[in-house]
Amino acid sequence: MAHTTSESAVQAATGSQPPELVRHGSAKGGWFRRTGFSHLVGILALAFSIFPILFVVSASLNPVGTLSSSTLLPREVSLANYQTLFDGSFPRWFLNSLIIASLAAGISMLISACAAYSFSRFRFRGRRTGLMSLLLVQMFPQFLAIVAIYLIFAEITELWPAVGFNTSAGLILLYLGGALGVNTWLMKGFFDTIPKDLDESAKMDGATHFQVFSGIILPLVAPILAITGLLGFIGAINEFLIAIIFLREDESKTAAVGLYGLIADPLTKNANFGEFSAGAVILAVPTVALFMYLQRYIVGGLTAGAVKG
Amino acid sequence: MAEVVLDKVNKQYENGFHAVKDLDIEIADGEFIVLVGPSGCGKSTALRMIAGLEDITSGTLTIGDRVVNTLASRDRDIAMVFQSYALYPHMSVADNIAYGLKLRRMDKSEIETRVKRAADMLELGPLLDRKPKQLSGGQRQRVAMGRAIVREPQVFLMDEPLSNLDAKLRVQMRAEIAQVQRDLETTTIYVTHDQTEAMTMGDRVALMKAGVLQQLGAPQHLYDHPDNIFVAGFIGSPPMNMALGRVERSDGGITVSLGGATVQVPASVTAARPALASYAGREIAVGIRSEDMEDASLARDAASRARLTTSVALTEALGSEIVVHFPVDAPRVVTEDTKALEEDAHTGDAPVSHHGNIWVASFSPRSRVRHGDQVEIAIDQERLHFFDPETGLAIRD
Ligand SMILES: Nc1ncnc2c1ncn2[C@@H]1O[C@H](COP(=O)(O)OP(=O)(O)O)[C@@H](O)[C@H]1O
Ligand SMILES: [Mg+2]
Repeated sequence: MAHTTSESAVQAATGSQPPELVRHGSAKGGWFRRTGFSHLVGILALAFSIFPILFVVSASLNPVGTLSSSTLLPREVSLANYQTLFDGSFPRWFLNSLIIASLAAGISMLISACAAYSFSRFRFRGRRTGLMSLLLVQMFPQFLAIVAIYLIFAEITELWPAVGFNTSAGLILLYLGGALGVNTWLMKGFFDTIPKDLDESAKMDGATHFQVFSGIILPLVAPILAITGLLGFIGAINEFLIAIIFLREDESKTAAVGLYGLIADPLTKNANFGEFSAGAVILAVPTVALFMYLQRYIVGGLTAGAVKG
Repeated sequence: MAEVVLDKVNKQYENGFHAVKDLDIEIADGEFIVLVGPSGCGKSTALRMIAGLEDITSGTLTIGDRVVNTLASRDRDIAMVFQSYALYPHMSVADNIAYGLKLRRMDKSEIETRVKRAADMLELGPLLDRKPKQLSGGQRQRVAMGRAIVREPQVFLMDEPLSNLDAKLRVQMRAEIAQVQRDLETTTIYVTHDQTEAMTMGDRVALMKAGVLQQLGAPQHLYDHPDNIFVAGFIGSPPMNMALGRVERSDGGITVSLGGATVQVPASVTAARPALASYAGREIAVGIRSEDMEDASLARDAASRARLTTSVALTEALGSEIVVHFPVDAPRVVTEDTKALEEDAHTGDAPVSHHGNIWVASFSPRSRVRHGDQVEIAIDQERLHFFDPETGLAIRD
């Protein structure tokens, strides 16, 4: 599945720093218990997550391109699979995936941040109820509602085809509905740790609510923005179950749906595996790149020095 | 600059707690007023209402010639220094100071000159590029001050700005803040629970207890003429000595018996307090400050002074004076006020004794009395304070 592939790619990207073999203490047994043990666990985890990646990468480079001929280490290396992939619909799917994932992640980050700010900073009627219902709604996986969603969108497609089936906009809306609740909760928890004195101080300095939000709070919650953005992107780009129901036309498919189509047919399943693997590898690239870019924002201690006592 | 008038201002929190009750204060243009009182008495609440950070439940608040009850903080033209400093951690010192000016879209060059002027005033020049986390407590405090003064607001509000500093720095910053305020002549409302800050910094002091203003006046006036037992006990360190004494009418006028001793109240004192005579035959609370007592062997006009004979429980030689603790065999004064004071003292550093009535006198350093000595103490009768033991109010007229 596309899921496992890109997730383990992320793990590999972060966990693959060479282990430092520094000796602490004098006794050998002591060294193992203190340092060696954690290295051992790390190496095992690394091997565990590298194995599927290696398999997929090697399959994508295998010019024969069948599942049965795939091995962990390729016998022959060629880019033939990538070539065929890019001659087909894949570029279109890949673009769809990028657009949907970026917009879903970006918009959900923005809206959740606004909602979290209000829930964290304002006292208004329905605040508690609002928070509770967000949590409650969140407890049911979106997939449970798939039939209802299907029926609703069948209707919407009739009335507003622009956000109906086979449109990126419709799928983005659907993803937003799924992500806003968790993100708002995640962010609210983080916003609560920013001292309220800072808001009040900015207010005294003449800031409006929006200026407090954008000038004081947002820079200090960068870590949680990066995390929710990243999770939203990964979630959307790897999402398959809803997308495959939602996107039926070849033009509108995301990479996950499109790639699945390559191996869905029992007759061609075996033959297209090389192409499928090549697609999976390419799909992992934006996620890894985004992670590496956002990593710099995921740091602690941003509020150090703000308040004392 | 502007005057600030609180007229019957009340604050009742959503949970029903009545934190500030009918607060009436008129603050003159350019005045430095200190709101002081024990922790939890509603000082911060009052200040935050003036700041616009809390709603005013009832009453009117006027700044300059505008009623500002419903005005947002940013439209009140005031600046506040927070107890926690509340510096923006992601901005440099210069940006912290300039933030309020940038929000007002002030000219870049004007911002620069103002920031520079404020930085010079507070000796922040070399720190302008640092982030708050790279500063010491005292430096953060200065930045918070700088952020307030650079705006040149009508009113400064400060909520215990020195309470996070160590004692030495506190004394230094105390003087600096007072100096800055005098230079700028900006109306300032300063909140503290420290009576020393109240005494040394303010033009006037407003002492609060449980949301109610107890007395408003010049620090020396509160010190010399406290309106009630609470004020007498809160202002001054060590706090005023008190005991229950019986008022008697005698042919020479009025006397007060304190334990074994009988103190003749001078005619000038009774004349200033005509109501005192009506307490004849009853017990009242008698107060005397530590500096109004002296080792009888050293007192200049000892002959005319009332005497207490007692044994010394403890002496603390401070160099400039000797603080002498001694028991008095008159009963302690116990009222709502003294209970509130005692509660406050437990959180502060004032000595509290639960056994008998211990008084504190400060003697001249020439005194040779030591722990355990029998000593005669001369009391300056002119400086006695008298309070009604039921109401706690000063007995005057
Ligand atoms: N938001 C609030 N809701 C209810 N009670 C409060 C609130 N804020 C403060 N109080 C109470 O009001 C009283 C005065 O508080 P405050 O003004 O902070 O006192 P202080 O004089 O120490 O600054 C305290 O007893 C406090 O518990
Ligand atoms: Mg306070």
